[in-house]
Amino acid sequence: MGFFSVLGDMFRIFKHVFRQVFVRPFTSLYPFEDRYYPERTRGRHIHIREKCTACSQCVRACPVVAIRIDKEDKMYEKDAALYFDYSRCIFCGLCVEACRFDSLFHTPIVDLSEGERDDLLYGPDKIETLERDPLEWRGRRFR
Amino acid sequence: MKTDIVDDAIEIWFGPQHVSAHGWATKLTLVGDYIVECDPNAGYFHRSAEKVMEFRNFRQGALIMERLCMLEAFLAEYPYVTAVEKIAGLEVPERAKVMRTIMMEASRIHSLQFWWGQFAAELGLFTMLLWPWVDREFFLDAFEELSGSRHAVSYNTPGGVKYDFNEGVIAKLERAMDRIEDRLPKFKDMLLRGPTFRVRTQGIGQFTAEQGLKWGLSGPNIKACGVPMDLRKDDPDPSLAYDMCDWEVPTVHNEDHPGESDAYDRMVQRFLEVETSLGIIKQLLPQVPDGPIIDPKHRAKANRLPEGEAYGRVEGTRGVTTLWLKTQDKAQTPWRAKIRGPCFSSYYSLKHLVPSSKFADFIVIFGSLDPYPGWWDR
Ligand code: SF4
Ligand code: SF4
Repeated sequence: MGFFSVLGDMFRIFKHVFRQVFVRPFTSLYPFEDRYYPERTRGRHIHIREKCTACSQCVRACPVVAIRIDKEDKMYEKDAALYFDYSRCIFCGLCVEACRFDSLFHTPIVDLSEGERDDLLYGPDKIETLERDPLEWRGRRFR
Repeated sequence: MKTDIVDDAIEIWFGPQHVSAHGWATKLTLVGDYIVECDPNAGYFHRSAEKVMEFRNFRQGALIMERLCMLEAFLAEYPYVTAVEKIAGLEVPERAKVMRTIMMEASRIHSLQFWWGQFAAELGLFTMLLWPWVDREFFLDAFEELSGSRHAVSYNTPGGVKYDFNEGVIAKLERAMDRIEDRLPKFKDMLLRGPTFRVRTQGIGQFTAEQGLKWGLSGPNIKACGVPMDLRKDDPDPSLAYDMCDWEVPTVHNEDHPGESDAYDRMVQRFLEVETSLGIIKQLLPQVPDGPIIDPKHRAKANRLPEGEAYGRVEGTRGVTTLWLKTQDKAQTPWRAKIRGPCFSSYYSLKHLVPSSKFADFIVIFGSLDPYPGWWDR
């Protein structure tokens, strides 16, 4: 390997490096910036209680037993309360697929981090609404 | 003065804590800087996937397959799905066939992009870790647009596919392909012509085609020896659409050592694989026929299967991936599922491949076989 070939190799590498230096960063500053989530994103669920018929197909479809159903808890005529355990859920979408009454959907909300493990158990109060308290950290509010 | 080299030998464990060990552990016996014995140990990743499958129904089983290798999720779940289809006698609609094939090839490209980054990082070329991984994001965006999840796509289902193509998916897929086409010459220039890369890979981990076949290697590892062994061509699957396009099995023929492959040839082979996959996707995208993606009547058939056994297989990114499924009459879950991952044979071939090479080359040899621990510890 002669002197000129080494010089040529170095020049080639520098060419690629210099081109890359002026490229915009690919990453985004989460949580200050949010990325785009497609419509089909399989994030946390929302349970529309009016339409639920307490058929428990979603419970049967779940491969990791993340859903619990309480048929006694009735708000309407034949609905049921669902409890989702997000420490178990693998976001596979089988429960949404199994629900034939348009009562269970995924939402594009994927940031589910909580301070306490028990907070990941979404009871009927949390799973039926998308509202939640904004997260506060060092005097800053996110979301 | 006479020294017995056996007295100098030391045994070290490579992994499971080592950063490039990915969770596996190999026992190496070294004399000086040279490896005299290599003892691969599978088992550090074992999650009893085969046993878990016996307790999951036929719709849930594919999820486990996909989690064995997240990088090629579309390919990994396919053997299970096709085995269920064979036992139940399900027909796959034409549209679903083409869509499956397109996404499987996209998944192959994505997996190879990941491997370039990982292999280059193991060689110490850290820049090449980040650049292919940025391009990989474009494919992940397409997967997310299609199925709603970046890695655990859960796309194939017995009888068809779950999510339909829309304009957003096609636009993202095309954007990802344009990006990789634009960058491929650059990567080739950086890796294949790079002096550091050449010195570290040429003549390292060399084996002949006979040896490779004896060890049970498949996929790019054996194609790099010049053996055109590819399930996509050899055994065209009726539920896939590889016959709708025109392509050749890519193989490498190295003038310096015909019929043999080293780490460098395997890298070249994987560049060729990406080009082939790109060609297949490009030909199939305009050909996607109209129609349903799954037959609702057939969908219900996967709830309970008749007695039978079937063998599902696919040419994965790393080699032939197969699954043997046996069911009992009217059962909701399989009686037994047996997975054959492609990386088990490549991991255990290290036993013959590594001795007499330098310790520093060990990771090059291992990385060049494209390992994925999920495939040898099920
Ligand atoms: S997404 Fe999957 S894992 Fe999560 S609750 Fe639904 S079925 Fe269970
Ligand atoms: S959410 Fe749907 S599947 Fe689940 S109990 Fe209600 S109606 Fe049935």
